[in-house]
Amino acid sequence: MSAVDSQANATDAAPAAALDVRDLEVTFHRRGRDLPVLKGVTLHIEPGEAYGLVGESGCGKTTLAMAALRYLAGNGTVDAGQVLVEGRDVSTLSEEALRKWRGEAVAMVYQDPATALSPAMRIGDQVAEVFRYHEGLKKAEALERARESLRRVALPDPDATLRRYPFELSGGQQQRVVIAMALAVNPHLLVLDEPTTGLDATVEAEILDLIEELRGRIHAAILLITHNLGLVAHLCERVGVLYAGRIVEEGPARELFTDPRHPYTMGLLRCAPRFGMNKTDAALQTIPGTLPALGEPLAGCVYSARCPMAKPVCTRREPDLYAWPSDAGVKGAAEAEAMPPDPVAYSPHHASPVGEAARHARCYFSAQVPEMPQMAPVVGASLEARGASSGDVLEIKAVERTFKDGRKRLTAVHDVSLNLKHGETFGLVGESGSGKTTLAKCVTGLIAADSGTVTFEGKLMRSTAGRRSQDALRAIQMVFQNPDSTLNPAWSTRAILTRSVRKLAGSRSGSVRAKVDKLSADVRVEPRFLLQKPADLSGGQKQRIAIARAFAGDPRLVVCDEPASALDVSVQASILNLLVELQTSESVSYIFISHDLAVVRYISDRIGVMYLAELIEVGSAEEVFNPPHHPYTEALLSSIPKLDFDRRLQRIPLRGAMPSLSEPPTGCRFHTRCHRFLGDLCVQQEPPIQEAVTGHTYKCHIPPDELLAAQLADRPASPVEA
Amino acid sequence: MARLIGRRLLLMVPTLILVSILVFALAEVLPGNLGRSILGPYATQQQVDILNHHLGADKPLYERYAVWAGHFVTGHWGASLQLGTPVFSTVMRALGNSLLLAGFALVIIVPTSILVGVYAGLRRDSLLDRAITISTLSMTVIPEFVSGVILIVVFAVTLHWLPVSAMPPQGAPFVDRFYYLILPAIPLMLLELGYIARMARVGTVQVLAMPYIRTAVLKGLPRHRVIFGHVLRNALVPTVTVIGSQVGWLIGGLVVVEFLFVYPGIGNMMINAAQFHDVPLLEACVLVVAVLYMLSNLIADIVVALLNPRIRMGG
Amino acid sequence: MAPAGVVDDSRTQEMQADVAAALEQRRQRRYLVRALLRSPTFVIGVLIVLFWVFMGIFSTAFTQSPLAQHPFAILQSPSAAHWFGTDDLGRDVLARTMAGARTVLIIAPLATLLALLWGGIIGLIAGFYRGITDDIIMRLVDVLLALPVIITSILILSLFGKSLAIVIVVIGALFTPVVSRTIRSAVIGEREREYVMAARLRGERSAFVMAREILPNITQPIIVEGTVRLGYAVFTAATLSFLGFGLGPPSPDWGLTIATERVDLQSAPWTVLFPAFALASLVVGVNLITDGLSSVFSK
Repeated sequence: MSAVDSQANATDAAPAAALDVRDLEVTFHRRGRDLPVLKGVTLHIEPGEAYGLVGESGCGKTTLAMAALRYLAGNGTVDAGQVLVEGRDVSTLSEEALRKWRGEAVAMVYQDPATALSPAMRIGDQVAEVFRYHEGLKKAEALERARESLRRVALPDPDATLRRYPFELSGGQQQRVVIAMALAVNPHLLVLDEPTTGLDATVEAEILDLIEELRGRIHAAILLITHNLGLVAHLCERVGVLYAGRIVEEGPARELFTDPRHPYTMGLLRCAPRFGMNKTDAALQTIPGTLPALGEPLAGCVYSARCPMAKPVCTRREPDLYAWPSDAGVKGAAEAEAMPPDPVAYSPHHASPVGEAARHARCYFSAQVPEMPQMAPVVGASLEARGASSGDVLEIKAVERTFKDGRKRLTAVHDVSLNLKHGETFGLVGESGSGKTTLAKCVTGLIAADSGTVTFEGKLMRSTAGRRSQDALRAIQMVFQNPDSTLNPAWSTRAILTRSVRKLAGSRSGSVRAKVDKLSADVRVEPRFLLQKPADLSGGQKQRIAIARAFAGDPRLVVCDEPASALDVSVQASILNLLVELQTSESVSYIFISHDLAVVRYISDRIGVMYLAELIEVGSAEEVFNPPHHPYTEALLSSIPKLDFDRRLQRIPLRGAMPSLSEPPTGCRFHTRCHRFLGDLCVQQEPPIQEAVTGHTYKCHIPPDELLAAQLADRPASPVEA
Repeated sequence: MARLIGRRLLLMVPTLILVSILVFALAEVLPGNLGRSILGPYATQQQVDILNHHLGADKPLYERYAVWAGHFVTGHWGASLQLGTPVFSTVMRALGNSLLLAGFALVIIVPTSILVGVYAGLRRDSLLDRAITISTLSMTVIPEFVSGVILIVVFAVTLHWLPVSAMPPQGAPFVDRFYYLILPAIPLMLLELGYIARMARVGTVQVLAMPYIRTAVLKGLPRHRVIFGHVLRNALVPTVTVIGSQVGWLIGGLVVVEFLFVYPGIGNMMINAAQFHDVPLLEACVLVVAVLYMLSNLIADIVVALLNPRIRMGG
Repeated sequence: MAPAGVVDDSRTQEMQADVAAALEQRRQRRYLVRALLRSPTFVIGVLIVLFWVFMGIFSTAFTQSPLAQHPFAILQSPSAAHWFGTDDLGRDVLARTMAGARTVLIIAPLATLLALLWGGIIGLIAGFYRGITDDIIMRLVDVLLALPVIITSILILSLFGKSLAIVIVVIGALFTPVVSRTIRSAVIGEREREYVMAARLRGERSAFVMAREILPNITQPIIVEGTVRLGYAVFTAATLSFLGFGLGPPSPDWGLTIATERVDLQSAPWTVLFPAFALASLVVGVNLITDGLSSVFSK
């Protein structure tokens, strides 16, 4: 049919690899500088295979995808190497062949579905376009096929969706449309670039289910690009780990994740909190240092600067991608042995894997990786050891907040009451729009509650920060989400801290300067960074300064709004450790907001779950994560892709889309989506607050014993820790 | 959509009232003694008093505004002090001439400038793009009377291709008017062309960097489909908004060009009225221009809504 | 309390740190300056504007008098004696062209500064307080913008007289709404940022937040807006004097000269063309500066 097929068939009888990247080198040219992004990447995806490419920001993973589709930005060039798709060199395609090839042979799904769809064009026209220009169909026929495509990705009411504009769909529905478009003409290779990043947990689960389900029906090979190890474990047979433009380890997903043979892979696995882990059990392992900047010269092994196992040889010559266990155990170590003691000139590494094997690792000392030394940061003290008393430090009563949006009234926080003990961490979870940030801002006074009270240490707080006393401000501080806007870009770091100490600590602490130095030492920011402007700091450093700023006046409550969510995994862990450590030393209480359940579980003593502006469940971290718990919490927990190959949970799909805040459902707000829906009772009556055990309450019509029985019955091999 | 237009029209009312208060205050109140400001320092006090009484300037402010505004709404615009003719018909005749000139310029500018701008945006950073950017930048900033005199020297005085006058001799057929309008229209066009083209270029460059354009390209759509289906429609939104607000500049330009070419339009009339302190005529000209300007912004808003489904449906 | 020596020591340290921070600031400023000097549009623009500033101040020192009339040498075409020819009163066109920049170069920068000052204050207040304050201010701004600048200035100047000071105030006032709109939107972009929230949680006064937190982060849009307005101020001032609402004869002002000499356009085009080209070069120069600045800032 197309030129692509005929030539692919002509090359050889054996099916060519779906994607074959050979020694690919890509450089970006920015402000007169050459910044190598990919430094010789080789990878291979068989037809029908799913390959996961894992790496943190800036490692070059999206660049690889774009190079594979021959769509590098104007300032990027392929300097060496080849990309072969089904045996054809992509760089040799003519304009017209390239156009046919895109869409028919390869297709892509993007990170942010909201911007991936043309805003002023109806969904139907956007999907139909593919059929019109690839199969030459007339408009009516193309629309008919588009309807089929939408049905295939299980979009509700495809006829109505065809006529909608992108902004009328939810994020999950938009991503379904993008997937429908990608799969329209049955491509042989599907590139998924962070397909679920930025989506809410339950929506992410939906999309994952869809991709998994489609894999059974289509025969496309998949290249999944992500930083989420759980996602890869779920979807892919093979994994490559990318660091600073190099593949450092590659192999079958299960073996690689259970028995990593590169220190970076090991570090990544260790620094994310395991599901169900708590700060009192163990501190998170961290990876020292920061990710290298683009174009930063790295001597020898790209990872040697951050590697806890690095030896002098590692910085002299870059290790090859040795086969494991055959070569790396023997040859790698031997090469390291044979290395002369003096520094030798940098000799180019081999991009391609050395030797035929299922697994490869770019390390001289792969054999020792399992014994990689652990960092030993402080383990969080238990509540009692932290001197937590039974007294409440904070009491929130019946807080309500409504925003106006044109003529609509959106209730962002509805009748929320909770209390926080001295020295405790209260985790607040919920999907976007659940009201957790608004609630937090009502506590700090950045947003005034319409009604309800906030009592702190027995004193009623004024509703806005501007009306609170300096003492009250000092006591309740906040750490924000976005490291790039949390610090004033025009001020030096020292000026930022000095101003906070002056305003918040005032004359109470002797020298302002000494206090600033102590604060920066406490958050482990080297003094030289105090002279810099925020733009010169890394994301992790900025967040550390923001934490220091919050602690300037010895606060008693710090509200942390997703303080680590915008950071890379390897940096995230050290921020969480820092917060745990400061809590132990400064005896402060936290309200900790996050959408990442493993993180919340790790850092919190108690947890509250919010859904559609309501607090629907409160209890100790362990209780909330185990049955009996609210059906929504149950669904939320089931939706997280976990790095667990033996015990897979069945995900609980939620029906429908998130209802609007301006017209919340009657009765139980969750009834429109609940998998344990009882009928009219849930629709008509607001559910009572049930107490599972003392201190663990949830808002549902199902009593605890029935709920426990039902939830245990549905999860026979309930794997969550005892 | 109808609701959107209705609401925007309603919104114009308070703005118009405020503008009229502004004009009233500037023209009738702030200069102090109205009669004195019209007649000048050498008139006798008696003459001034008589004129003030005749104009109603000796009544309280709110009453004066009510009467003044009432006359405008009912079409009783009074008589020109300088010409002695009724203001309404005088202004309307001049307005007709001005609209002909402005319309002639706009009909040519809008498509040309969009074409030039989009083309430059698509060929971003090429030599042609640089040339277009620099020349459009220069065009937008040179005052109309500067480009006007240079054009007269080149095309009328030196080459004799076009007439120096902007009006054909009495009795010439109507079509001839366009031939005489070419030279006055060019300075107007240069100014707007540069501005709109720059906007269209920026809009195109921004849209080209959007992820949905990547989606369209990687879907394997042909280039023409990407440009006409996905780029243009979104790139035009900021451009159209600008065209609406540029009409204000176009009116300012009209004043200058009409004055330079001695063309009997509303701009030239305004200058004369201003120089001769013909207050009724001046006020009428200003208010007519304000209404015209608001209407053109309204039209731009409607076109933007047509291009952007989000605004259209939100309305 | 710490012993005196320690306090002294910490003071010197503090001073050292301040010095280092100042050095760092200077380094960044130097980077910007170097980037600007590498931008050809910026450099050419600056040279053109500097040329006219120089001529405006010193031209009479080395040209003939722009006002001296030579009744026996009227409307002469360019020659060795009169490089740009002479006008209808026999005045030297070269001298008049060189001196003609003066009024525009006084009016435009002062009017721009006024507009930046007023517009800056209004924009900061409207953008920072939002709510009803913002609604009222923006409504008024819309009203002022509903009339083309040229029209309003003609209206005002014809009724209030046309001294240099009034022209400056009128242009400044009429540019204020546009400037305040630009600054307001820049302020709105900044005020929702987290560092502003952090300042509120420290108990900073609104004036401090506006002046010390927000203002330093919107200097670039303010500078760009300032040069854009400067270009339009030159444009408007020249146009007003062309229309007869500026200085009267015998001033060598370009706009005025073009208006008065255009009767001789057919017979002696040089009397009009040279001032026209001079004015064109000045406005293009100002706008080249704008273009260079905004492209360096946006990188």
